[in-house]
Amino acid sequence: MDDSKARKNHTAPVGLKLLVTIVARQKGEFYADLIQGFGANMQVVLLGEGTATTETLQLLGLTDKDKAVILSVLRSEKASEALDTLARKFETVRNGKGVAWTVPLDSTIGVAVYRFLSNNPEGAGTLWNTRTK
Amino acid sequence: MEHSHEMIICIVNNGFSDAVMDAARAAGARGGTVMSARGTAGKEAEKLFNISIQPEKELVMILVGHEIRDGVLHALYTAAGLGTPAQGIAFALPVDAVAGE
Repeated sequence: MDDSKARKNHTAPVGLKLLVTIVARQKGEFYADLIQGFGANMQVVLLGEGTATTETLQLLGLTDKDKAVILSVLRSEKASEALDTLARKFETVRNGKGVAWTVPLDSTIGVAVYRFLSNNPEGAGTLWNTRTK
Repeated sequence: MEHSHEMIICIVNNGFSDAVMDAARAAGARGGTVMSARGTAGKEAEKLFNISIQPEKELVMILVGHEIRDGVLHALYTAAGLGTPAQGIAFALPVDAVAGE
């Protein structure tokens, strides 16, 4: 095994983040597709309802309380990229205002699940990959 | 590591999300999102703790600054805690980055 390959296989596994995105319901699919582009293999769209008071809603010119809540699991470096892009889209997309944040994930069970969530089918950069050689 | 925001999740019986948001707002929160959920606590738990568990729940997600997190959690505990008809539980998760405030 050459040196660079060995080093690659011994880097620490990448961290995962849970990205929570709340947008208007009709924009749910648009944002889910956008986030999928950052390597999110597992996403769930939940139907939620905003609770802002009517005064606040009128002040912001919002009429619709129905929301889509998108939960996505992303590698941490992709999560920050996705957040930057989302922040831009929230400003520019018509009727695309929203809020998004990330929560660090501590653990997952199963190598296959981890590879799936981290969008890493070869398991590159994971310790266990060395054992299969 | 200190986080600037926290995500508070409060799970209450159906119909109590308004009580949750009123309490949270009084403690400084600005808004939240409500989702319908179904509780899954088993029949054994109902017998063991001598309580009745309503399966229809509402899950309220509130993003708050970390400095008001304890205040909001305490407000939720008193307004919608397990000792109230809302039978609510609330917890906070650390948020490491936010977009769109």
